[in-house]
Amino acid sequence: MRDERFDVVVVGGGHNGSTIAAYLAKSGLSTCVLESRPECGGGQENTEVRPGFRIDPHATYLYGGAAPGFDQLELGKYGMRMVYYPSMAGVVTTDGQAANMGSRWRPDLAEQSLARYSPQDQAGAGLIFSELGETGARELLRALFWTPPHFGESELDPADLPWWQVFRERLPQFWSDRLVDMNYLDFLDEFIHWEPLKALSAIGAWYCGAHPGWDGMLLQALGGTLLYQYASGAPRGGMHTYAHAIIRCALAHGARVITNAPVGEIIVRDGRAVGVQLAEDAAFGEKTIWADKAVISAIDVQHTFQGLVGRRHLDPSFLQRIADISLKGGSLFVMSVICRELPRYHGRADAFPDEVYPSCVVAPGDSLEWIRIQTRDAYSSRTGPTSFGPEHLTMMICTHDVYDSTRTVDGYHVLSPIYLEMPPPAYDVSGPDGVNRHKDRITQAALDLLGQLAPNMTGANIVDVFVNTPQDSEFRNTGMVGGNWYGIRHSEDQWSGNRPLPELGRYRTPIEGLYLCNQTSHPGGLCLMAVPYNLMHILIEDGIADPGSWWYPSPFYVPDPSARGAA
Amino acid sequence: MTRVEHRVRQPAEHILDEFPERSEFDVVVVGAGPNGLIAAAYLARAGLRTAVVERRQEIGGGLSTEETLFPGYYTNPHAFYHMMTDYLPVLSDFDLAAHGLHFVKPNVQTAAVFSDGSSLALCHQIEDTKDSLATASPGDAAAFGRVMRTWRRIVDDLLAPGTYLPALSPIDMIESLERTDVGREALRLTELSPLEIIEETFANDRVRALMLYAACQWGLDPRESGLGFMVPLMVDRAANKAQCYGGSHKLAGALSREIHRAGGVVLDNAEVTRIVVEQGAVRGVECFDGRFLGAAAVLSSLPPPLTFGRLIDPAAVPAELVEAAEHWEWDTWSLFTLSLATTEAPHYAADDPWVDDALMVVLGFDSTDDVLDHFDAVAGGRMGERIGGHATVETRYDPTLSRVPGHHVSFFQVHAPYDVDGGWEARAPQVADELLSVWGRHWPGLASTEIVQRSTESPVDIERRIASMVRGSIKHGDYNPLQMGSFRPSASCVAGRSPIDGLYLCGASSYPGGLVIGGPGYIAAGSVAEDMGVAQWWQAPKFVTRYQDRYLS
Repeated sequence: MRDERFDVVVVGGGHNGSTIAAYLAKSGLSTCVLESRPECGGGQENTEVRPGFRIDPHATYLYGGAAPGFDQLELGKYGMRMVYYPSMAGVVTTDGQAANMGSRWRPDLAEQSLARYSPQDQAGAGLIFSELGETGARELLRALFWTPPHFGESELDPADLPWWQVFRERLPQFWSDRLVDMNYLDFLDEFIHWEPLKALSAIGAWYCGAHPGWDGMLLQALGGTLLYQYASGAPRGGMHTYAHAIIRCALAHGARVITNAPVGEIIVRDGRAVGVQLAEDAAFGEKTIWADKAVISAIDVQHTFQGLVGRRHLDPSFLQRIADISLKGGSLFVMSVICRELPRYHGRADAFPDEVYPSCVVAPGDSLEWIRIQTRDAYSSRTGPTSFGPEHLTMMICTHDVYDSTRTVDGYHVLSPIYLEMPPPAYDVSGPDGVNRHKDRITQAALDLLGQLAPNMTGANIVDVFVNTPQDSEFRNTGMVGGNWYGIRHSEDQWSGNRPLPELGRYRTPIEGLYLCNQTSHPGGLCLMAVPYNLMHILIEDGIADPGSWWYPSPFYVPDPSARGAA
Repeated sequence: MTRVEHRVRQPAEHILDEFPERSEFDVVVVGAGPNGLIAAAYLARAGLRTAVVERRQEIGGGLSTEETLFPGYYTNPHAFYHMMTDYLPVLSDFDLAAHGLHFVKPNVQTAAVFSDGSSLALCHQIEDTKDSLATASPGDAAAFGRVMRTWRRIVDDLLAPGTYLPALSPIDMIESLERTDVGREALRLTELSPLEIIEETFANDRVRALMLYAACQWGLDPRESGLGFMVPLMVDRAANKAQCYGGSHKLAGALSREIHRAGGVVLDNAEVTRIVVEQGAVRGVECFDGRFLGAAAVLSSLPPPLTFGRLIDPAAVPAELVEAAEHWEWDTWSLFTLSLATTEAPHYAADDPWVDDALMVVLGFDSTDDVLDHFDAVAGGRMGERIGGHATVETRYDPTLSRVPGHHVSFFQVHAPYDVDGGWEARAPQVADELLSVWGRHWPGLASTEIVQRSTESPVDIERRIASMVRGSIKHGDYNPLQMGSFRPSASCVAGRSPIDGLYLCGASSYPGGLVIGGPGYIAAGSVAEDMGVAQWWQAPKFVTRYQDRYLS
């Protein structure tokens, strides 16, 4: 067997693993990515579950529009293309209301809807985005997401964190000290009047990563929706095309990408990560692959330390804290429905005319109370998923093919994903397979509810239904711990420098030469190319990467003076 | 199939850099199937700026591995049995094994199980095949050993090398084959039908049934003469199939990697709606979203009715190609496949435990008449009275296809017409149930096994997934004497060159044909390199040069 040796070995070919490989390969390092599934991309997938029909089992919109990676990696050269949508979001209620909030390209749609239901909210919706403008929005988003957390010694007042700095400077008229400690639910109650708009905003924030009830995460919640508005669209064909562009960039710069290659162990010698051992059934001849400079774990933090590094290299207090990382937050029951007609809400063709049909509809979004009930069911349920009847469901229903015909067959629509929040398997009182045991009943409840809201969504109109529960997502995609699309909770205790643990907050680990590059590190999920971008700063500090003139660091980055490669 | 984008409203400004609206390449390949990718990989490494443009999101065409048993189980819905891995030059030219592309070729290859539980097995090792055939007929076992001495040479010396060289005209072909005994035997077989060849070679009816199925399952008409030389190829390859570990799509991925490493690009979700021809020469291609990729050479891997009948302005198409497009005959049958994810692997009630190890198990036929009735029915547009076909446990040699350790993915595939009464959407569940009952007769444990997921793929589904497989034509067009050899797709196209300047053909509708043999792409790459004046960095494999020395010098 030949000696397989690289500068850097990346464990996991999901979004973050592929992106760091592209960055490192472009930096001239010999790089190898090992992916356990037949296809790279992780949550950036569009599964052709039935010939001609592609669904989104996980990621669905382009949130990363402000990522430096697009120009640093020149993804356009590798096939990156977008489809921008006139209408991104809408909301319908059980009592017959329906509002189209348009998109950044069509703010007039929101104005029209709100003029009808809630004139006093007209100025509020979309206000922050329009006040910031594209440049301001990009700066705020980069401060929030595309900046490595400050190192432990740096002294920062919460109000001086990069994102609040930008906010104060760009939006002084809205600044107040209270914002730092607020949660988004309270914010919505204070500043928005129309309940369905509050519900839509809250659900929007939740599905963009920060639950609206989490304290101290106001700007993260707003920032998530800002990411959504910033691009107002999706990659052509879906998120997997974006993954293709990243992987092809990595390949073009000489990275080796090996699929069907699950890693069994990260090899540690004298406290240093020196390579990996592939699992026995890996589709690769040589099962030991050496890393001269670094091993980067692009799988979740729990599998990294509990599975691949192993207890013998780690102390018990660290391992306990790893075990206690909260997985709650984004465990999704994902439905995909193939149908002949789009949902006609309240039986009206004009609720959302086809040419501006919202690509995502929150249904039903009657009030914040609905969100609170669903939150309780997903996070605090003591009775298990049996409480998930139609009266407790709020769905986010996405329909990309209205604007992107490549996802379906002529004459059919694909409603995918339809997201419902669920308890993560590990916290489900009825057992980890609790939701799976009730899969058919929950699916039926959701379809019944959809049929109540849109009477045409019954009978022969529904051709096929596919479901992946949180548990399904976990076994399909091992990095998606708890079936949580962002791996671990995005609350203040597990965000920024606390993500996933304070001692791991700068992507370094207790094992020298082992770095973290997964959504379980800051800033989490959404396929932003942000974790790898942030990690690059650290790899440069540590003298591992030396990118060319194409690289630029975050303006908010504070170098660690004790680091090896620090200037 | 052409998509029209009605509703896309592009904003005035783009928020990020995208693939350009207009770009220039030396070579643009239409369709990222195996042949398109092979051609592009050779040409990109030859230094030509190369782009491959694909309608689907996933490249590979028939090299497809999809999670059709969602969630958690993958299948290879198109190419599963790789029959030319012993020869495919691309595997060695790019040293793909060193990059983690591995084919598994088990010894037990094609088994037939009959209704009384007796069985026969075609193995890679000829003596093992003879041992099995001897249980039915010691004479046929001996006959198999004898005939394979010649048939293997027909494959090794003639047909395999011929796969990677431009087609000879019929006259040149006859002249070259007359030179040797092996060549003369191939010529003799050509004049016979598959049925006649099987009947003159074997005596036992069950042996004949297995051999006839093996000879005809990929598209030879059992009673048609003119392509008899392919019977040795089909029978030999039925005992030499391989499975791509990790899924057939890995071969596509490996080729894509080679293209990108050499500076090429693959653009997916980008259906080509027009091949632009001006003043008799190609200028490039236009995609459904308006993007234009300019090129001095365009290689189309699509069949003639699409390339000439749809993508090129009719005024620019020479008469002989208009005719080729109009008279093109699609495959006379397609396939219907039932896939299952189960908690247990299939275990057949058969007299030979090796049956469970077979890469392919043929079920439902007890005689040559059964096999003939089956093909007659399908060619006549019906599902036969007795359903028969072939089954495979995809996870038997590739456990990675199941995300749940210990679970299995299997399929049962039968030939099927494209048009059925009531349409496939309505008929599929019923046909699937019939397949389950046939399968269950041979696999008694099926009734008590948990079926975790099940899916079907009908001829209409095949066309929906891969639009170039019109009417479910997995080979892009029928194998008959007028559409084979130098007539595929038209006598006016030689070595992949079309009469339109700069337009090349590199798909399964070109000589030598489909089934992931890789010949059309390899041959076209050679022609393009020659015409564009770039050095061919690759050399013909030894089995090809040996043939050239012996038959073409």
